[in-house]
Amino acid sequence: MSISRRRFSAALSASLALPTLIGRASAQGATIKIGMCAPVTGPAAESGRYAQIGAKLAVDAVNKAGGVLGKQVEIIVEDDQTTNPGVVLAFSKLASQTDIVAFLGSIRSTQVHAMSPDVLKVGKPVMIGGTDPALTHMGNQWLFRFRPNDSYSGKVIADYGVNTLGKKKWAIVHSTDAFGTAGGKALTEALSKINGASIALDQGYANQSQDFTPVVLAIKQSGADILGSYFTFENDLGVFARQLRQLGVTIPYVGSPSIVNITALKLAGPALYGTFGVADYAEDSSPGSKAFGKIYREVAKVAPDNQSSWPYDAITILCMAINKAGKTDPAAIREAILAVKKHPGAEGEYNFDANGDGLHGYNIVKNENGTIVFDKHIESAS
Amino acid sequence: MAIGWPQGAMDLVLQLLFTGLGIGAVYALVALGFVLIFRATNVVNFAQGEFSMVAAYLMVVFAVDLQWPYGWSFLAALAGMALLGAIFNLGVYYPLRNRTFLPVIIATIGASIFLANTVLALYGPQPQVLPGWFETPGIQIGPVYLDSQYLLIMGVTLVLVAFNFWLFEHTLLGKKLQATSQDKEMAALLGIPVATMIMLTFVYSALLGGVAGILVAPILFVSIQMGSTIALKAFAATIIGGFGDVKGAIIGGLALGVIETFGAAYISVPYKDGFAFLVLVAFLIFRPQGIFGERVAEKA
Repeated sequence: MSISRRRFSAALSASLALPTLIGRASAQGATIKIGMCAPVTGPAAESGRYAQIGAKLAVDAVNKAGGVLGKQVEIIVEDDQTTNPGVVLAFSKLASQTDIVAFLGSIRSTQVHAMSPDVLKVGKPVMIGGTDPALTHMGNQWLFRFRPNDSYSGKVIADYGVNTLGKKKWAIVHSTDAFGTAGGKALTEALSKINGASIALDQGYANQSQDFTPVVLAIKQSGADILGSYFTFENDLGVFARQLRQLGVTIPYVGSPSIVNITALKLAGPALYGTFGVADYAEDSSPGSKAFGKIYREVAKVAPDNQSSWPYDAITILCMAINKAGKTDPAAIREAILAVKKHPGAEGEYNFDANGDGLHGYNIVKNENGTIVFDKHIESAS
Repeated sequence: MAIGWPQGAMDLVLQLLFTGLGIGAVYALVALGFVLIFRATNVVNFAQGEFSMVAAYLMVVFAVDLQWPYGWSFLAALAGMALLGAIFNLGVYYPLRNRTFLPVIIATIGASIFLANTVLALYGPQPQVLPGWFETPGIQIGPVYLDSQYLLIMGVTLVLVAFNFWLFEHTLLGKKLQATSQDKEMAALLGIPVATMIMLTFVYSALLGGVAGILVAPILFVSIQMGSTIALKAFAATIIGGFGDVKGAIIGGLALGVIETFGAAYISVPYKDGFAFLVLVAFLIFRPQGIFGERVAEKA
């Protein structure tokens, strides 16, 4: 059998056009579709499951209340494999479905950086949970953040240590990767703006250090009366905390969010008792957080955390914004999200700024013999 | 920022020395496994670190999940390691034994990736906690705090070094193992079952790696990547000590632990890992045969 060149190219163009035509047809379908990139496989698969449950709870609530623009909402999940190439692939797969109106990106800053150029090209709103301050300050108008960024955690740690605990001579310990360096810098900057606060020690360490004796001894020698930290990995934090106690350092300790996560609590055990941490989700911080915690526990059978709370808020606010905009036009949705003020979410009160940052404060929690107890919420001035 | 020299300098030095020797003893144990397999097969086993990791997970399964007594769990984990060593020999080394060293090395790298991902699939990515052998976390002697687990590690390393010496120098089995490692054809001609000897070497190395993993787990926690971080340092220690030399591995491991601890304290913490590899590079340039190595150019 021979195929003429003309017939071949006609068949080729038909098969290329077909998915688009089908896509068009279903765009007039019965549901509003939201794409979600989540780690279904890979090291973060467990937290990816929590994120999907959080998103699902929000969708159920929205659909029960009448849906969006009179239609039911549907989430389409694509596996990001917990890697940067994975998230780029997942996003482009979702973006090729033209009837998807908006997306949920990643909780990992590095993944959001990786997918950001494609987000610009696609030109549709993407909700994110990564906390690198740069993400909403690099000219990508389609990223909207549903967790407070790291510039606020530095401010809140400094504020709590100086104004609540009354300690001014700081030792700062941070990892030397992108997260730890940015965090350490944010804390240093925040302290430099507080009268009387000084930095006795600013100590970086490389991830996966097997031993922190030199760091602990340096803290001891610096004469600091309070310790602030940005640890990336829980096992490093566990080794550090234990050596801190063994070598007799007992000064107050306020850490970045990793200090209160479940893995760190398990690894470090009593070594972290009495420490303080900043947390974007704290169950007892507001009625909204409590309500989310209650419905989440029923479904997931584990304690709620920020992995599940931000997708919940992201879906809720996104649907609210589309309803308010009255259409699924990306620019209209963007404007409606930025107009969200004083919305009580699971993570806290959302007041979107022009950059796309929804939250501007952190909760301070205390580790009381292994239980995380909400202490206070500190809203950052800027 | 580094620590200055003012008051209490001696206390600091003692504390750092203790920690350095403790962590160095771990490197030494893993390095010993490297050396034994290298001597027997002329191949570097890049899955040696994963042996430590697998043993630590077995210990978590027995002692934490199944709540067996610690001693029994330890023995069960070691039995598991012996089995793993035997399977490793049969599955990874034996089919390739007549090829050059390169396919075997690649196979060990493949095996290490396989082991790490198998454990990941079975146990998940969350690090696990393994309690230490002793109830007391440590003792304070004057200004120096001695972590009981580090004390145990040093003690076990000493015992194993002595055992190693006795095994290789004073038993017939040891002589056979040595003969096999020096010249397989000659050993075979003398009636030594070469394949069995190599099998025993793999089992013994898996046990050594396993002991290191189980001992270090209460300090560094049990995680998928625990093996590779230790193995990299142990590998450097092996080269510093002189590849193929048992006492070189021990001295190299201890030296590396002390060097990086003091380097971190007095020069720079973020570049701690750098010191180990700086020493390694210096040795490769100025004394490639290592501290105890002989100037030989045949093997390989």
